[in-house]
Amino acid sequence: MAEKSKTSIPFWRDIRKLNVLIQIVFVILVIIAGFVLVNNMQTSLDQLGKTFGFEFFQDQSSFAIPPESLEFDRTDPYWYAIVVGLVNTVKVALIGIILATILGTFMGIARLSSNWLISKIAEIYVEIIRNIPLLVQLIFWYFAVFVNLPDARFSIEFFGVFLSNRGLFLPWAFPSETFSIWAIYLGVALIIAIIAYIYRRNQLKRAERPGFPGFTAMGVFMVLAAMTWFFTGPAPLNLEFPVFGRFNFDGGIVLSTEFSALLFGLVIYTGAFISELVRAGIQAVAKGQVEAAKALGLKGSKVLQLVVLPQALRVIVPPLTSQYLNLTKNSSLAVAIGYFDVTRVANTTINQTGHGLEVIIILMACYLTLSLLISMVMNAYNRRIKLVER
Amino acid sequence: MAKAEKSDEGIIVCREVNKWFGDFHVLRGISVTVQKGEVIVICGPSGSGKSTFIRTINRLEEHQKGDIIVDGIELSNDLRNIDAIRSEVGMVFQQFNLFPHLTVKDNVTLAPIWVRKQRKSEAEALAMQLLERVGIPEQAEKYPGQLSGGQQQRVAIARALAMQPKIMLFDEPTSALDPEMIKEVLDVMKELAETGMTMLVVTHEMGFAREVADRIIFFDYGQLVEENTPENFFNNPEHDRTKLFLSQILH
Amino acid sequence: MKRILIVAFAVLLMVPGLLSSAQGGDTLAAVQARGVLNCGVNGQLPGFSGLESDGSFTGFDVDYCHAVAAAVLGDGDAVEFFPLTAPQRFDVLASGEIDLLIRNTTYTVSRDTDLGNNFAPPTFYDGQGFMVRADSGIGSVADLDGASICVGTGTTTELNLADTFAARGINFEPVVFETTDETFAAYDAGRCDAVTTDLSGLASRRTTLGNPSDHNILSEAISKEPLGPVVRHGDDNWYDIVKWTVYATFFAEEAGITSGNVGSFDRSDPEVDRFLGEISTKFGLDAGAFAAAIGAVGNYGEIYDRNVGPLGIAREGGLNASFQNGGLLYAPPFR
Ligand SMILES: Nc1ncnc2c1ncn2[C@@H]1O[C@H](COP(=O)(O)OP(=O)(O)OP(=O)(O)O)[C@@H](O)[C@H]1O
Ligand SMILES: N[C@@H](CCC(=O)N[C@@H](CS)C(=O)NCC(=O)O)C(=O)O
Ligand SMILES: [Mg+2]
Repeated sequence: MAEKSKTSIPFWRDIRKLNVLIQIVFVILVIIAGFVLVNNMQTSLDQLGKTFGFEFFQDQSSFAIPPESLEFDRTDPYWYAIVVGLVNTVKVALIGIILATILGTFMGIARLSSNWLISKIAEIYVEIIRNIPLLVQLIFWYFAVFVNLPDARFSIEFFGVFLSNRGLFLPWAFPSETFSIWAIYLGVALIIAIIAYIYRRNQLKRAERPGFPGFTAMGVFMVLAAMTWFFTGPAPLNLEFPVFGRFNFDGGIVLSTEFSALLFGLVIYTGAFISELVRAGIQAVAKGQVEAAKALGLKGSKVLQLVVLPQALRVIVPPLTSQYLNLTKNSSLAVAIGYFDVTRVANTTINQTGHGLEVIIILMACYLTLSLLISMVMNAYNRRIKLVER
Repeated sequence: MAKAEKSDEGIIVCREVNKWFGDFHVLRGISVTVQKGEVIVICGPSGSGKSTFIRTINRLEEHQKGDIIVDGIELSNDLRNIDAIRSEVGMVFQQFNLFPHLTVKDNVTLAPIWVRKQRKSEAEALAMQLLERVGIPEQAEKYPGQLSGGQQQRVAIARALAMQPKIMLFDEPTSALDPEMIKEVLDVMKELAETGMTMLVVTHEMGFAREVADRIIFFDYGQLVEENTPENFFNNPEHDRTKLFLSQILH
Repeated sequence: MKRILIVAFAVLLMVPGLLSSAQGGDTLAAVQARGVLNCGVNGQLPGFSGLESDGSFTGFDVDYCHAVAAAVLGDGDAVEFFPLTAPQRFDVLASGEIDLLIRNTTYTVSRDTDLGNNFAPPTFYDGQGFMVRADSGIGSVADLDGASICVGTGTTTELNLADTFAARGINFEPVVFETTDETFAAYDAGRCDAVTTDLSGLASRRTTLGNPSDHNILSEAISKEPLGPVVRHGDDNWYDIVKWTVYATFFAEEAGITSGNVGSFDRSDPEVDRFLGEISTKFGLDAGAFAAAIGAVGNYGEIYDRNVGPLGIAREGGLNASFQNGGLLYAPPFR
């Protein structure tokens, strides 16, 4: 074909044709790989006499899940067990993300402190925690620390809170019969608070003053909530204290040893990484920025709030997102210390049903959904604080 | 705020100011008095302590010995005094140091709103007035990253002026600029000098010094070597060190 | 370019064949070609399958691995052991990584069908029990109302626990772990008021606790736990070999054949003669394969006494006695 004309390039040297060809070849390879995988899976399933399908999720699970967030009964179906596991995962991930962010921020700022002791402590924390595998840490926290707390009978008590190897037992306010009446009052209070918010915001706008209308609204809501509490008659919420029963405490709420150890381990671990991000983020803000702000007469806290943090956040948020994703995915190490997260429930389901493939597909979908949700929220936030490019 | 010192003694009074960076003695007994409305140009070889000196005046650097009194307020470790002085002294940096996350207008209104507690509209009106004065009112809604160097430095001047300072400090304001932008910044500074602003300017722009300065101060090795009128400084310097410096800097 | 593509296609088309031949098929041929039997065990259960300090495994389940290796390869020591957790075991078996699973595994319908396994005859008839601290004042299952109970996941144990407590209308807090070691470590540290598994497992693990006499095993059994070897679906001959190797240990005991006398045993009884001689050729094994198995580990009684005896679990009068003594062990005819 090269003979036809001097200008026609043979296809293996024509960049445009090659690009198309490469893509076609790639698609074919993907299809073949997919075919091979499905075919191989089918052969294996046939050999073992297993079938593929999701109907079994309707079947009764027959196992027990300790109550961490949702109640679960052995007569509930497998799909509900997965839901309970997912809620447990979300619970530990969400609280973990919040606490790890707070810890990481403090430690990151502490590392930049001019106080030698404080910055040294922060540095040692980061260096130790970052260099030990999380699984090892979780096993340490659970088997060496939390499980070795005193027995329930000899719980450590502080302000009505009991800490033992059975978990952390906290007093908790449970709604009484009059709660629904109070709830109506609260609804009204909320509306008034919103009106107060709008009013205050407009007032500030008219006066052209910076300020926080949210604080005003919160104050209004709290005062109204407290006032209506007394109108309601019998207390709408009953404070319940943990009381020692036969083996354990009853009443209040409990954070199980497994949940506490997992949360603790995840927060300590992720906090170390976040503290490095915070430190790097603050350091990435040029020294001249602080000097310029100071030269304008801004006070230290305002320099941080108006100049340093907004710029540091631009640097911190993208890698922070991946730390949040890591924490969420790392929560699957719960299996090692007996917390019923979604992975643990999935494992148990696989063991009892043999439908590994189906359960793994659902499990992957769960984590993918969680990860995408976190990414979406963080990307939206990132877009808001992003710097206009030069 | 001890207003003990009389203002007729000078709006800035420095007496025997000494500063060390560790063992390194950067400022060795600097004494200068600046009168209200004066324009002082500070020059000298690199590393001689010029920047350090003007940065001590608004406490970006702390001096260890001697007195600095700005508009009758003594610079001490009293935070109140430091805040008071900083809101009366504006500063322009070599690297502009604009806040990249804020628009030009927000850069200029930030301190008036948060420090002077001005109303937003008031601060914005003032900002527009200042931007007009430095010749870039049309850039108000842009971000610093979208401006040229000369425009950025003019925003920085407007930002400092927005606090309505009595004194302006300039640390090599044109050193980071391309030649064609230097003039636009110097013109703004000249015009500012004509309004009677007290200015301390560290610069190597000898044309500007000759034309605008009331006095020129020459630094070397942390010491104030010569203090002279522009005419004498260029034509008739007292010290050999000054002569050597001038011969190097004027082609 | 074209030639490369053709080769790539050819390779890809061969892949499915390559992958699927890795599992299923002829296990006997695979084991004999390999020269080693891959056997999945618990590894954390002294007396059944415990890890010795020199890295070797010993125990009741372990001996059955040796017996099959002796029958199939002529060498009882040609075994590689795979310590597995309860939740891993069936996946590892299905994947073809092991040829045989002997890990105190209970024979149930769903494991036989849904999980795609075949169960050889039970080698140990057991039931699920509870261990508690002696000073806890717990004397029966009814006393466990409201207790925290440590249990291993992926077991019949966790299912029985939920069933039994629901049926009796009593509450409990399950605290669930992946491995036997973790389950008992948490119990030992006081995380749970009781730990539950097969009674044999409790007796075994009690020996590993700090002070065994501080712990009581409740006498109640809440379930039937027939434990035995497992193979995967899809290879009938291999299933037969494992099944009849188990029967061989029963038969040898019935006939009085031991590891000590197997070489010189009187073969005048036709069934004994078949058993010690050519009957193993029906499985594609060498003649005398069952004699080799008995030679390696002895008959059922020998295996039991050597491994389970020291745990103090009596055999006489129990289900694990030979049918001749009122137990359930009974070998079908070797004919
Ligand atoms: N933070 C600091 N720590 C230690 N030494 C410093 C510090 N800042 C400046 N110096 C040193 O002090 C001396 C004076 O610095 P300064 O910046 O005041 O010089 P300069 O006259 O402004 O020079 P240039 O014309 O190059 O800007 C230099 O030798 C410099 O290296
Ligand atoms: N026989 C039961 C239980 C077997 C079992 O694994 N029990 C204990 C040891 S005795 C255990 O291993 N528990 C923890 C675990 O491995 O998950 C079954 O087959 O499911
Ligand atoms: Mg300098």
